[in-house]
Amino acid sequence: MRYVEKISTDPDSFGDADWDDLRAHLSEEEIAELGLFLAFNLGFHTFFGSLKFYPMFSPDGRLVSQEESEKIYGARPESLQGQAAE
Amino acid sequence: MVRLAPLDLDKIEDSELRDLIAQCEELGVPHGLFPRIVARVPAQAKVVIAQLIEAHTKGNVPHRLKELMRIQLARFVDDPYFASLRSTQAVADGMTEEMVDAACEDYEDSELFDEAERMALRFSEQLFLDADKVDKVFYDALRKHWSDAEIMEMGAFIATYYAVQLFMKTLDAGPVAA
Repeated sequence: MRYVEKISTDPDSFGDADWDDLRAHLSEEEIAELGLFLAFNLGFHTFFGSLKFYPMFSPDGRLVSQEESEKIYGARPESLQGQAAE
Repeated sequence: MVRLAPLDLDKIEDSELRDLIAQCEELGVPHGLFPRIVARVPAQAKVVIAQLIEAHTKGNVPHRLKELMRIQLARFVDDPYFASLRSTQAVADGMTEEMVDAACEDYEDSELFDEAERMALRFSEQLFLDADKVDKVFYDALRKHWSDAEIMEMGAFIATYYAVQLFMKTLDAGPVAA
């Protein structure tokens, strides 16, 4: 969780001590897997976020238009609400 | 020293992965070091490397322009490894270091680019510098020069290379000698 936070907000702050902590808990294979997973999610969430598309279904399971979905879920996709609150 | 050392080629047994790494070396981007690092997870590495090659060398957006967008992102991320790489095809297509510097520093005023290229460079710059600026007005302006398919191609390209360049930065790899 520390890795994802730092890589997304301030990658320069991820120093040798953080790296040693990561190695203490994860293998090199797991670190490579995790790094790719995090980086691709950051990259594509940023691009997709700019396209402003919204969930296809309402919270009660109805198929809704993008216009209605935007009204339900707000000005940003729900998955970015945490980021928007900063 | 790189935080995750690249694997020796003779330790990589998967022939498909070895072929992909050879292609990376030949293309100049993403070169061989990054693929040999992620080769620790062969199934994931094959998908990622194939996507890197596909996004950079295929499609309708000129390869030379995508290479300029990629270097701009690498410098923005401050990743010395990817910032030092140059696509052999883009160089053969006439990409110069003057163009690289202009794309990264003053593309708005540079006569080296036309307005379509400037819009593409704005896209790669703004998407990760200030994504809030990439709004409907921005996409409408982008559409005056590029088709929806080309915009998707550029967006996926930017997202892909931003991702691996950001990951590589945390690995602390140095530049590759020219």
